[in-house]
Amino acid sequence: MQFALPPRRVPITPVYGRSSRFSLQRRKQLKAIAILAVALLTIFFLLSQFFYTSTGTPAVSASISGVVIVTVLDRVRFTDEYIEKIVKNREDYAKRHGYTNFFANVTDYESSIGDSPQSWAIIPAVRHAMTSHPYSQYFFHLDAHALIMNPSKSLGSHVLDKQRLESLMLREVSVVPPDSIIKTFSHVHPEDVDLIITTDNEDMNPGSFILRQGDFAKFFLDLWFDPLYRSYNFAKAETHVLDHIVQWHPTILARLALLPQQTINAYSKDCSAAAANGIYKDGDFVIRFLGCDTDTKRNCEKEMEPYYRLWQTKLKAE
Amino acid sequence: MSYSRSPSPHPTGVGGWSSPGFTHGSGTSTPHSGLLSPTTLGPSGISWAAAKAKSDEVRGYPSFATKNNGFFSRSRRQLSATLPRFRLGSGSPNGYVDKDEFRRGHAFASTDGGRAWGFSRTVFRPRRSRLLLVLVVMLLGYTFLWTRIIEAYRRSPLGGGRKFVIILESNIEGGVMEWKGAREWAIERNSIWNKDHYAKRWGYELEVVNMLAKKRYSHEWRENWEKVDIIRETMRKYPDAEWFWWLDLNTWIMEYSYSLQDHVLNRLGEIAYRDINVYNPLGIHHPLTDPYLDQISLSPTGDNDTSSINFLLSQDCGGFNLGSFFIRRSLWADRLLDAWWDPVMYEQKHMEWEHKEQDALEYLYTTQPWIRSGVAFLPQRHINSFPPGACGDGDDPKIHYQEDEGDFLVNMAGCNFGRDCWGEMYRYREYSKWLNRTSWERLKERLNGLRDKLFPRVEETE
Repeated sequence: MQFALPPRRVPITPVYGRSSRFSLQRRKQLKAIAILAVALLTIFFLLSQFFYTSTGTPAVSASISGVVIVTVLDRVRFTDEYIEKIVKNREDYAKRHGYTNFFANVTDYESSIGDSPQSWAIIPAVRHAMTSHPYSQYFFHLDAHALIMNPSKSLGSHVLDKQRLESLMLREVSVVPPDSIIKTFSHVHPEDVDLIITTDNEDMNPGSFILRQGDFAKFFLDLWFDPLYRSYNFAKAETHVLDHIVQWHPTILARLALLPQQTINAYSKDCSAAAANGIYKDGDFVIRFLGCDTDTKRNCEKEMEPYYRLWQTKLKAE
Repeated sequence: MSYSRSPSPHPTGVGGWSSPGFTHGSGTSTPHSGLLSPTTLGPSGISWAAAKAKSDEVRGYPSFATKNNGFFSRSRRQLSATLPRFRLGSGSPNGYVDKDEFRRGHAFASTDGGRAWGFSRTVFRPRRSRLLLVLVVMLLGYTFLWTRIIEAYRRSPLGGGRKFVIILESNIEGGVMEWKGAREWAIERNSIWNKDHYAKRWGYELEVVNMLAKKRYSHEWRENWEKVDIIRETMRKYPDAEWFWWLDLNTWIMEYSYSLQDHVLNRLGEIAYRDINVYNPLGIHHPLTDPYLDQISLSPTGDNDTSSINFLLSQDCGGFNLGSFFIRRSLWADRLLDAWWDPVMYEQKHMEWEHKEQDALEYLYTTQPWIRSGVAFLPQRHINSFPPGACGDGDDPKIHYQEDEGDFLVNMAGCNFGRDCWGEMYRYREYSKWLNRTSWERLKERLNGLRDKLFPRVEETE
């Protein structure tokens, strides 16, 4: 009772001595624990970062390569002779560059198209080509009424090569001529491009385009083919719908490269709709006879004949 | 008694007391000080009259406020009020006193007291007091901060809570069509509180969006369509988030303890179905059969990979329901939101599409194969239970909220049409409060129930 508090000096020194020894050990332990904790946290953090999947990457696998040329033929309206010429022209080109041909018939898709104009058949046809060739990367749709006039040009070096595409792409240009307020984006990179297409003097023209296989292609084709668009009675059917969806849907515009018309879509001089420089000149990649099947005054077979001969003599000369 | 040097309170000592919970018998021993109890009973403790008074207090009569304000009575009241067990033997006031005396006797027994003292000596020795301090701090930290720490962790990039954003619509029409009354305000306030409470708990982001009628939508008769724009804006606002959960205002999250990860998104493989034939009130033709389509589009279940699910919703008896749905940030989602808004489709169909954007989505799902491969459905009650009265008056266990099955969310769909939105919300709010009572409340409730069973309220009948 008298010594409510112990004399100060005596116990304090040993306490300090003990505590310093104690803390030395303790410090080592603490250090080890701290290092361990930091290491664990780092590992955890790295792992969580690693397993965090980015959702912004397109799902295109690298194993996909090759080009498929899609042509939709109307064997009912046109003679076998004419069809054969078209097929020959495509086959020769495919053989030169190791491409694949996909010939479809308008009648194949009648049930899907229903009452709409038959020109709609190109959309299921391209989708069908993608289904049949799931490991091909690019699908080049070329209208039947067209010839590949310069078969030495491969699609790869002529269009698809990154640098080439970069130099060809038209930026900040109205997507629908002459003066749509919707213009192609200025910052699209060639590696993001899924759709390569041209405009003529009037519209964005689906008679010749290149589409890359993947989720975008499915989305684009399915949207384009929507029954409500087909029933809307656009004057030019799928062509006007294409104009519409490209202008209204930025997710499409962001993946689109617009090329000068003559690169993949030169018109013969009989077509009125060609843009400036859009008329076929010697050396251009393809020639199209746009409108020869719809205009009653024109005849596709006659129009194509001289160019077919020209192509044949070129082949012989090589 | 040679331990007077100890700074620790001794149960029978003169120096003070520790709080009633910590040391054995301290509650009974404090009156020994004689200073804190205003009663004049002296050190021996409680008289019969005092015990009876206290017993009465325990039964909830408010008379205690004026008398027995001292520490003893306060702590006694706390002890007895929070521990119903204490009253097990108190069918009669005698039982109460007996029990008390019995316990006191123990506290005073030499062995018991000695042990208690031994414990307190180890704890309260000068160096050990640090240990005690640490323990106390840890206990306090656990009780008061632990949930906060957990919540902060969930909100952090490590916790993953920021990958989820809850989008809650509010201010529908902005009170333009009719003035917002007290009920509308109450609905809004409560619904927002509900989502906020849930989001805080799991570290999610809550985005309350303003559905004010805008000219942009009205002039085209596009009310409700702003959903699309809002989702897009929200995606831009939260660049880290992956999943966006849309909720209508008239919804109530019933179970706060379900995380979105555990309840939905981490087990999509088990719970989500992609083949709409599982439940197909609209009779949508599925799978597609067009011969030009690819394997995935033709398959009834898409690619069977949960990672390709970008849109999760449930169907009610009338088809798709967009009162509660999930959309994942992805190219697919961008494309859907883009296509959803198409003016040509809208122009042709807006007279027919009574449910506006919901019908439009149904249409897109039906006609465009690429959409099917990104959509999955959840059983309705998993994220979107209906109250009775929605979808018919029946009690369809697929559609309607089942009280004992722990449904996650109630969507008072259609309550604007002839039902009482606020009434329903109030009811579910109270029920959810009861469902989410703390374990302490549960224990009390159970003990009270037990007591009532064992000793039916005889006092009242007397």
